[in-house]
Amino acid sequence: MSELEQLRQEAEQLRNQIRDARKACNDSSLSQITAGLDSVGRIQMRTRRTLRGHLAKIYAMQWATDSRLLVSASQDGKLIIWDSYSTNKIHAIPLRSSWVMTCAYAPSGSYAACGGLDNICSIYSLKTREGNVRVTRELSGHTGYLSCCRFLDDSQIVTSSGDTTCALWDIETGQQTTTFTGHTGDVMSLSLSPDSRTFVSGACDASSKLWDIRDGMCRQSFTGHVSDINAVIFFPNGNAFTTGSDDATCRLFDLRADQELMMYSHDNINCGITSVAFSKSGRLLLAGYDDFNCNVWDTLKGERAGVLAGHDNRVSCLGISSDGMALATGSWDSFLRIWN
Amino acid sequence: MSGSPEIEELPATQTGPKGVIHDWRKFKLESEDHESVPSNKRELLRQMSNPKSSKDDTQEKVLHKMSVQEYEMIQEEDERCLRKYRRQCMQEMHEHLSFGPKFDVVFELDSGEAFLDVIEKEHRLTLVVVHIYDDGIRGCDALNNCLTCLAAEYSTVKFCRIRASATGAGERFSDDVLPALLVYKAGELLGNFMSITKHLNEEFFALDVENFLNEYGLLPEKELAAGPEEDENADVE
Repeated sequence: MSELEQLRQEAEQLRNQIRDARKACNDSSLSQITAGLDSVGRIQMRTRRTLRGHLAKIYAMQWATDSRLLVSASQDGKLIIWDSYSTNKIHAIPLRSSWVMTCAYAPSGSYAACGGLDNICSIYSLKTREGNVRVTRELSGHTGYLSCCRFLDDSQIVTSSGDTTCALWDIETGQQTTTFTGHTGDVMSLSLSPDSRTFVSGACDASSKLWDIRDGMCRQSFTGHVSDINAVIFFPNGNAFTTGSDDATCRLFDLRADQELMMYSHDNINCGITSVAFSKSGRLLLAGYDDFNCNVWDTLKGERAGVLAGHDNRVSCLGISSDGMALATGSWDSFLRIWN
Repeated sequence: MSGSPEIEELPATQTGPKGVIHDWRKFKLESEDHESVPSNKRELLRQMSNPKSSKDDTQEKVLHKMSVQEYEMIQEEDERCLRKYRRQCMQEMHEHLSFGPKFDVVFELDSGEAFLDVIEKEHRLTLVVVHIYDDGIRGCDALNNCLTCLAAEYSTVKFCRIRASATGAGERFSDDVLPALLVYKAGELLGNFMSITKHLNEEFFALDVENFLNEYGLLPEKELAAGPEEDENADVE
């Protein structure tokens, strides 16, 4: 038997072993177990603030860890730092490219980052001595668009790209410390685990992967979706994560069970999900769709608990603050809204 | 009103990174001069924009959202063209969503069937607001007057009202949950407000009801907000 044939057989055996192990611990379904749980009832959120200032569609946003400031990126080629309590703009940062896909806020609050069709992750220092905002680094190296970036701390950032890789960067040197390869399609999104030791990525190859940040290895791979995964977010306790896909479903994957636990879908829903967020307890899952609609799901029971912003589908991106007190949504009409 | 052509579904990929790619392709095809984008490149952009057009639908294309040639087309863009394009994007969305039948009065529904009809049979883009009321219940008259005002201002929204006793489900709507406001679109319940007067002051007006509904994101914008024309003052080096 040729070596290639041997390797093929070995791979097939491993695949079967994984499948059997998953089946063995799959003794029930999440919906069966939560059947007796009270439903969360109808969720109807109210707009508490409207943030006006951008001149075009909001492409991305992220809350700062203080749950008060947030950063938004828009088609108007600007990054704006907002104070969500007062609705004041703290900074308005012009970008070199209007085609920005992602933005991030460092946990310390000292830096913001963004990137998009320019393939570059630009780092901005928000707390310079002079009081203005400066580009401090342009992290280039990806050969595809920058779909997502998330700060680990002031000196490290993780990025995902249309070149099918993710990367951990040393911001000081501007170099990639680690490259995470394995996806066969554009990587669309990433989410850092609460303990910052791992992150999960979702890609156009319909799979999501759990990566060890330190050694660059892919620890687990999850399949199930039948089309591109556009968004991923860790469950608050770090033991699970949810993905949103072009197949019009969101799915909850558990790390210990190594498989899908629940699917969030409805016959009436036919378009892809591009943003997902959990409430602080994880009981609610917010999903933003390609038609600018936003649904609220009961994570445990798998039922829809509400629709955000009922009319005039407006939601282009969303995020929940870390204190769980507010949901921010960006819209095609240039406004951001704060809800709870 | 009727007889206008139906605007097609929004193209897929409007949000997220793929939405950005879609917007960029559209900008290159529609907003830039033909000189800056030669015809063979335009053909590529058109093909990439339309997922079903490609005959040899290879795996490659499914896995990768931007082609190598397209990456090469990314360059500095004319700010004026960009500004025009952004306004055009918002205007198109606004028009798409305000398309549909127009109304200017509050419709009285006289039976449970009429109620079901209005919920299920209206145009899928039409927001339907139903006020369930009854005579002698505090707030119902005032709310009816408010809705009459709003019906004139929000022509794409169909405001209706029905007596609790006429719904055929009178027991469900006991006096203490009236007046109730139910909001539907494309057959789905979007908003459900029992005893809505509890959320309003003793004396309330159309503006209060309007603000209330707006807070829940339930009313459309009355007209497209005219944003500031010049760039914001930036504080970046």
